[in-house]
Amino acid sequence: MNKTVLAAIIVTIAMLGFTYAAVEMAGGLDKLIKDGDWVNMLAILGAVILVIATTFVVTKYVRQMQNDTASGKLAEETWDGIGEYKNEPPFGWFVLYLIMIIWAIWYFLAGYPVNSYSQIGEYNQKVAEHDVKFNEQYKDMDDETLKEMGGSIFIVQCAPCHGLQADGINGQAADLTARISEKSVKYVVLNGSNSNLMGTSMPMPDRNGLLNSNTSALITDAEIDAVSKYVAGGLTGTEGADVFAGTCAACHGADGKGMEMVAPNIAQMSPEMVGMVLNHGKKGAIGAMPAFTNLTEVQHKAINAYVASLSQK
Amino acid sequence: MFHWLEKNPFFFAVAVFVVIAFAGLVEILPNFAQASRPILGAKPYSTLELTGRLVYIKNNCNGCHSQLIRPFKSETDRYGHYSMSGEYAYDRPFLWGSKRTGPDLMRVGNYRTTDWHETHMKDPVAVVPGSIMPAYTWLFKNIADVDTAYAEQLTVQKFFAVPYNTELPMADGSKVTVALADTLEGARASALEEAKVVAADMKDQAVKDAVAAGQVPEIVALIAYLNRLK
Ligand code: HEC
Ligand code: HEC
Ligand code: HEC
Repeated sequence: MNKTVLAAIIVTIAMLGFTYAAVEMAGGLDKLIKDGDWVNMLAILGAVILVIATTFVVTKYVRQMQNDTASGKLAEETWDGIGEYKNEPPFGWFVLYLIMIIWAIWYFLAGYPVNSYSQIGEYNQKVAEHDVKFNEQYKDMDDETLKEMGGSIFIVQCAPCHGLQADGINGQAADLTARISEKSVKYVVLNGSNSNLMGTSMPMPDRNGLLNSNTSALITDAEIDAVSKYVAGGLTGTEGADVFAGTCAACHGADGKGMEMVAPNIAQMSPEMVGMVLNHGKKGAIGAMPAFTNLTEVQHKAINAYVASLSQK
Repeated sequence: MFHWLEKNPFFFAVAVFVVIAFAGLVEILPNFAQASRPILGAKPYSTLELTGRLVYIKNNCNGCHSQLIRPFKSETDRYGHYSMSGEYAYDRPFLWGSKRTGPDLMRVGNYRTTDWHETHMKDPVAVVPGSIMPAYTWLFKNIADVDTAYAEQLTVQKFFAVPYNTELPMADGSKVTVALADTLEGARASALEEAKVVAADMKDQAVKDAVAAGQVPEIVALIAYLNRLK
């Protein structure tokens, strides 16, 4: 018998012996069968197959190295006497290569450019589809749905500054549960206001342009304090009412609800007012509010209604 | 063919180059396409903004924040227009990031303001209940490294022809020139001018005092950078 084959048989027997010993140490095959331990029985089967297959394959190739003689046609060129066989690719492979090359040329010149997938294209399509559906679904919203939608937009876009309770987080931003604070009114009267609140640049003059018709003089410090308190208090009470009537009513109206094309409503937060702030941003006594132009028309309507409702009592 | 190549080392080398370079070319050539040129409205960083960008990198903000808005509706609804390659033309290195522990910051300048950043960086939970972003209190004390930013500006101007001191067209038809000083003193002075504008909207008295005294705390530079992300 060939020495290699003999060695293979010995190794196989030895390895199978180890496997047997390992199984015995684990309680023997009987126990495994009795326990119905399929996982370990499969493992044993796998080990046996592995041992036999490995030795068989290794033996085959070692024998081939021992016995094979070279055959085939040598290429012409040699390097320092070392030659090389001409080894044509098998016919099946050759055909496959050819098909792939032809496909690659087609894909490069026609397939990709013509049918190319575009992520942006898909995005545009998805957004257009969504917009159609969204506008259809929320064409006629009742007040409840409108405010609900506004509320959820508020949490994402506005809450980081105005707070989840819309109270302005200790002066981080405007307190939207009230129309306006005393501090803000005072700031506007002292410095004027030019925040496009009427849709166009239509500034309100500062104190040097605010004449109190009751006294026929420019508004004084004491009057500013009084009227600020009056406006912030929702135009109620008596203190400051006369200053308001004499100085501010001409533009803002006797009830403070504003006049079209003249001055905004400062008695209540109106949806239009919120819309103006969102379109143009605002910078005032509290800080800067950025403009929000990323919302759709429906969303605008919703957030305007929601914010306006927050200070409506 | 192959046997022939084998016998001609020069052409063999050329063939090897072509095969290996092919994959590279496929990746590199598109970057010269129009879509990757600076987009209309892209402009280089000013000295203070670049200083802030260095602060951003130094504190590894990009470990938690991406700067890349993907073309998904959910993202464009929240952050704004999806990112385009031409917008990053002057970013070296890119700060795309790979993980969003916090939100994307690509366009944070559109919807956050100086005073909000100030409060948030000092104490994130003060404005965002339950925020896990760490507080960056040291930024209010450390003085920013304007000199390095200036060196970087000079370098990119020289080697990558970044258009400083050049009129650039903006999307709305206006023209903007980002100035680059001739000297280090000039750069420090212009950074301080920018810092004064930011500090005017801030509340922290120590920071305001530092800027008034001619220093640029890191927070001021960082906010200038964040405001510029649009
Ligand atoms: C000449 C007309 C005029 C007079 C007089 C006037 N206002 Fe105004 N007011 C305006 C206009 C216009 C605006 C909107 C300005 C803008 O777009 O920012 C405005 C805005 C305001 C705002 C800002 C509202 C907000 O939500 O920010 C307040 C507060 C205000 N006025 C209070 C007053 C008070 C108080 C007085 C009287 C002392 C007064 N105004 C007198 C025209 C006037
Ligand atoms: C970056 C912080 C920030 C965000 C985000 C923000 N706001 Fe504001 N907002 C402010 C600040 C600061 C003011 C106060 C401006 C001033 O000083 O008058 C303000 C003022 C306002 C006002 C005007 C109040 C008044 O009395 O005139 C309205 C309305 C408003 N915000 C609505 C919103 C809505 C709706 C959103 C979400 C879509 C929003 N804000 C998001 C910071 C913010
Ligand atoms: C451990 C991760 C982490 C690190 C590091 C980190 N952040 Fe944040 N950041 C967050 C999280 C989480 C949020 C969301 C909660 C919040 O707004 O506080 C956030 C929010 C923000 C926001 C608000 C964005 C928005 O759309 O509301 C800004 C701006 C910001 N981070 C800037 C920075 C800067 C600048 C740095 C580096 C100095 C930084 N972050 C480092 C986790 C991180």
